[in-house]
Amino acid sequence: MPGFEYLLDALTPLNILLALGGVIAGTVIGSLPGLTATMAVAVLVPVTFSMAPASALILMGAIYTGAIYGGAYAAILLNTPGTPSAIATTFDGFPMAKRGDGDLAVTLACLASVSGGLVGAAFLLVLAPPLATVALAFGPVEYFWLAVFGLTLISALSEGNLLKGLIGACFGLLLSGVGVAEISADVRFTFGSQVLLGGIETVSALIGLYCIPVLIDLVATPDRHLKVTHAPRGFRLAEALAISWRHKWNLLRSSVIGTLVGILPGAGGSIAGLVAYSEARRVSPRREHFGQGEPEGVQATESANNATVGGGFIPTLVLGIPGTPPDAVILGALLIQGVRTGPNLFTEEGSIVYTFIYGLFLATILMLPAGLVIGRYAYKTIVTVPKAMLVPTVAFMTLIGTYSIRNSVSDVIIMITLGVVGWILNRVGFSPSPIVLGLILGRIAEQGFVQAWTIGAATENLTGMFFGRPISLGIIAFIALSLFYPLVRARWVGRRRKIDAD
Amino acid sequence: MRTEAVPGAGGRDLGGMVACAVFILLAVLALWDTTSMTDSDSYVFPRTVALAMIVFCLAYMGWQLLWPKPPEAGTAPPGSTPRRVGLVLAMLGAAALMPWLGFVICGVVAFGSIMALAMYEAWTPRRLLVYALVGVAVVVGFYFLFAKLLLVPLPLGTLFE
Repeated sequence: MPGFEYLLDALTPLNILLALGGVIAGTVIGSLPGLTATMAVAVLVPVTFSMAPASALILMGAIYTGAIYGGAYAAILLNTPGTPSAIATTFDGFPMAKRGDGDLAVTLACLASVSGGLVGAAFLLVLAPPLATVALAFGPVEYFWLAVFGLTLISALSEGNLLKGLIGACFGLLLSGVGVAEISADVRFTFGSQVLLGGIETVSALIGLYCIPVLIDLVATPDRHLKVTHAPRGFRLAEALAISWRHKWNLLRSSVIGTLVGILPGAGGSIAGLVAYSEARRVSPRREHFGQGEPEGVQATESANNATVGGGFIPTLVLGIPGTPPDAVILGALLIQGVRTGPNLFTEEGSIVYTFIYGLFLATILMLPAGLVIGRYAYKTIVTVPKAMLVPTVAFMTLIGTYSIRNSVSDVIIMITLGVVGWILNRVGFSPSPIVLGLILGRIAEQGFVQAWTIGAATENLTGMFFGRPISLGIIAFIALSLFYPLVRARWVGRRRKIDAD
Repeated sequence: MRTEAVPGAGGRDLGGMVACAVFILLAVLALWDTTSMTDSDSYVFPRTVALAMIVFCLAYMGWQLLWPKPPEAGTAPPGSTPRRVGLVLAMLGAAALMPWLGFVICGVVAFGSIMALAMYEAWTPRRLLVYALVGVAVVVGFYFLFAKLLLVPLPLGTLFE
């Protein structure tokens, strides 16, 4: 275990203040739809230039971890992922809030985020150099299979109508192809429109598909946004702790998944959350309740996406390859500070790196009280504010949040259009989640597939390229498990019941 | 997320079938667009997806024709359609006019319009004043957060330049 002196360095009053301030600022920014963790870190980078490198890293790490957690608020209370990492949080978080358990969902999300953040930081502290090699072992074909693994969630999200789920996913995959093709630079599906050249921005699409339908239905009736059936119950911390302890293996498994996915450059918190959610659902005895407000779903996603913070720092610091987009911003800030990342960083600049890692632990722990208080306030605001105030405020936030991503009015119009399309499709039985899955995973799947295909064709070994690499085979095995395990298990349970009856 | 499908006549999922027909048209349009692409890297993936979408849609429509099955949840959408349409128009209008009128004016007008649409209680002078002040505060507050702190170049409006 690296030096105790670095822990003391991290615990200076200035660093504690920076960690707390960073977590609070990140949580608030992350909770606003459209403002991502990348933006939160990027905006506050200039503030760090006058600081010591370790303190700067602590502040940026705290903002990053707070922003990832903050995304859960909008996901749970408004059905809008505040950040892309919180997509899967909407699956169970919003149903929980709708039935009157929004306060519990927010507290569960906070506990899960802290658990995930701590596991990610622990991996960063203890196993960073060996784990960094995982990032290098992942080639295009592994990314392709990882995206396919994410797409297997469609069966879980289709609610009894797999064909509609598959059609929705195809629609999302086609939407992901709009604009300039990444590899060949051909212009696709723009039909001469300049507006579509930049493609469909993922966060805008998320806001449109998830939030606009909610607003459209909110404005149409005088009913309350969320069901409030009970008197105020505080944080519901004891209840949330009991649930967390009951599902500790889910938390641990999801955190490890989040860390490992975070290590993969470009994968990010959204994929980590989706993969962890898929695994949690597969393993859980209550899998049929997933999507209807199952606390395990919220725990899986939130622990995984916060674990990507520590995981993403592993290739960033050891290899100089940013694991996630906010890591790229932090890497740039480090270079400006004169810190050269690389395999020798942990030995040559140990005081900076280990002070930062302990600072990340500190920020994650401080997220517990800060997150609980902010979450409680967010929940109370959403349930008590009059509808005539809530609807325009949220609508306004979607407008400004979407605009700010690329400073584009076109993105705002696309967002609203997708929202209307999503609402209509919802009316005829098409859930937005498979569309979103296709949209997010489409780009990763296509890029991985085309690159792997090109390499395989050039080496005249297409089969070996797609089915002959150990990591690929491992992911394919998980895909098969994810698809067929429910069938096998149902048959096995049926046989057991028959034997018991006999 | 639970969907709210609308049943059609004869127990068939008419809405779903119409949506499938639209998806087939979209897929055909996508296939037609790929014919202009020269590099196979560009068209292999979208063509595969478009063809898969057509197959899934036809399978769903065929399934519904042969074994009609109404969707699970089937009620007409409750609530006021004019308010729904009003919300969408207010948001689209604000977005479309933003480059000319600027962010603040469009924001305040959109906020006020949507507030009126979402109001189900009687307007009293006090309520009108408080809500209007809160609306302006929200718009101006977000303007300062985004334009001044986060340095997002929000449109000022070409009419006022």
